[in-house]
Amino acid sequence: MSTANDIPIQGGAAHGNVRPILFEVLHALDKLLDDDIPTTIDLAGLPFGPGELEKLEAALGHGELVAQLNALGTSHIRETAYPGVWWVEHRNVNDEVTGRYIEITRFPEILSSQDADIGAARARLRETFE
Amino acid sequence: MKYRPTVGEILQAKGVSRRGFLKYCATTASLLALPPSMIPRIANAIESARRPSVIWLSFQECTGCTESLTRSASPTVEGLIFDAISLDYHHTLQAASGDQAEAARHAAMEENDGSYLVLVDGSIPTGNPGYSTIAGISNVDMLMDTVKGAAAVVAIGSCAAFGGLPGADPNPTGAVSVQDLVTDKPVVNVPGCPPIPMVMTAVLAQFLTFGQIPDLDKHGRPLAFFGNTIHDRCYRRPFYEQGKFAETFDDEGAKAGWCLYKLGCKGPTTYNACATVKWNQGTSFPIESGHPCLGCSEPKFWDKGGFYQPLSTGHFGSGATVAGAAVAGVALGAVAAAAGRRRKAKYTKEA
Amino acid sequence: MDLLEFARGPALQFAALVLVAGTLWRIVGIAFLGKKPDYSEPRGPGGLGAALKVIWTRAFTAEPFKKATLYPKIMAYVMHIGLFATIFLFTPHIVFFEGWMGLDWPGLPNNVIYFIGVATVVSGFALIIRRATSPVLKLISNFDDYFSWFVTMLPLVTGLLIPVRALFRYEDLLAIHILSVALLLIWLPFGKLGHTFLVFMTRGTTGMVFERRGAKT
Repeated sequence: MSTANDIPIQGGAAHGNVRPILFEVLHALDKLLDDDIPTTIDLAGLPFGPGELEKLEAALGHGELVAQLNALGTSHIRETAYPGVWWVEHRNVNDEVTGRYIEITRFPEILSSQDADIGAARARLRETFE
Repeated sequence: MKYRPTVGEILQAKGVSRRGFLKYCATTASLLALPPSMIPRIANAIESARRPSVIWLSFQECTGCTESLTRSASPTVEGLIFDAISLDYHHTLQAASGDQAEAARHAAMEENDGSYLVLVDGSIPTGNPGYSTIAGISNVDMLMDTVKGAAAVVAIGSCAAFGGLPGADPNPTGAVSVQDLVTDKPVVNVPGCPPIPMVMTAVLAQFLTFGQIPDLDKHGRPLAFFGNTIHDRCYRRPFYEQGKFAETFDDEGAKAGWCLYKLGCKGPTTYNACATVKWNQGTSFPIESGHPCLGCSEPKFWDKGGFYQPLSTGHFGSGATVAGAAVAGVALGAVAAAAGRRRKAKYTKEA
Repeated sequence: MDLLEFARGPALQFAALVLVAGTLWRIVGIAFLGKKPDYSEPRGPGGLGAALKVIWTRAFTAEPFKKATLYPKIMAYVMHIGLFATIFLFTPHIVFFEGWMGLDWPGLPNNVIYFIGVATVVSGFALIIRRATSPVLKLISNFDDYFSWFVTMLPLVTGLLIPVRALFRYEDLLAIHILSVALLLIWLPFGKLGHTFLVFMTRGTTGMVFERRGAKT
């Protein structure tokens, strides 16, 4: 007996939703280089047909840097084959995707150590000397 | 009054780091369909927001809305928003029953007078009060009593928002929506059969974050989720423009994933977020599964013609009335022709 | 009942009844009007052949007028062919006809229809500007001409607003579009738009009369 997963998904053909996003990324790179303004594209609000998100991800490719954040579940942050273009994927503790973004920036803010955490760290370290 | 911790304090108590908090805020922005540039503002607001009390009333409903909401596996980031509210009364989910449950409702109302949220699923019968009661109290009485001290009311699902199935023709119980009865409080409609869990959570997150209800459309629905039609956000839209339509549910067009307009899709007149937020942890939505949109988030969707009748089909009477008009037209024509002949006969005689 | 329900329910039904009754009234009224007795010697048979011949020849312009009327002729053809395509080859319309009478035929891609629709509107405006500026046409035009033009263009323009979601929301635009169609259907039998169903009847009659009188057709 076949399961739903055995039924091949058809119509993965071009729905035409990938190109406009790549175009938006291109514009965002202009903005980053010329005006120093970073951009975040929230992929949750965009329509994707079956297989299109994967296509977009493949089109952007993999770059030199991969990071993993472990807070409220895992997040994967990696630079794509286009430096300055980052693929950010937040997952919850059940490993379900809760947010996908393309960030066009020099360095995604969430990777920086945060002052609040640094402060807490200082206090904690100081305690070890007391 | 009970001490209500801020959301920041709740998250801190759970050992969530600042990075985790930023992630939470990013997800909340995404959930509220706000631009990512709003994240710092959201972070500020959420840190100091206090845990609101929520009373959930269920009237003529099928519990599908509660099912939809609780199916979002916890603890998710959306789940954390639920941790950040105090669900003080929900007769399906709460442990207490009978008098104790009613006492909990009254206690929550007194403690949080003027600031609590009332969530309602199900329509309210206005016919015989005995059609639907809880603890011997009719639905109308319970609703009107509970909303008195509420900050806002959220109608969850198409029954509470528009009357839904109980209100469908011929509406035997005289079912009405929340907004038909509650006119002196802000009412947010989150319709759908059921509504998307993310959208329900988002309305709570909005209230939690900004302490106010979101911008609404003419049917009282949050514009962030009900601002676009399914059609406008549908990944099959290009097929509509190309004129590629599935004619039946098993033809080549259906298999190739073409547009379902001819199979009765109500996407063009339906405002909802299914096409982008999707269902079952973002797996798919009805059209992606090959079924036309029923338009379940629109008022009176049960009574808007057949689900499988294309949208542009006319909704007018039988051929009998048209035949009647044809007979009338022929009769009129005959009279006119006869009159013309008489006139002509008169002139020819005179000539 | 919202606007859309009203438009595609009672409004469209009323318009359809007026259209059917009005059209039959005019056709029957004209067909059975009878002819004045013609006492002259017939110079030709004046039968069906003559009718068909004129219906065919009147599709083209007579030689002396060819140059002068080339522009309006092209525009009028664009408009009429455009109207045919937008009404009968647009898939949502075909679905409407199928729901009404069970007949189905292939349509054109929507993008093509939008293009044809714009061309049709442009030709319509070209024609009305010519009518309003030409001294001769101005003299022989009355309210009927302008109103008939208006009710014809209205469904086209409101229809074209739908894909671009201009001014209103989809369901309201659709309702306005259907209401404009209802207006067109109601007016159609009574004014000059009656040529929709009378054009070949009158041309045929002209052909028969002309041949009988020996006029060159």
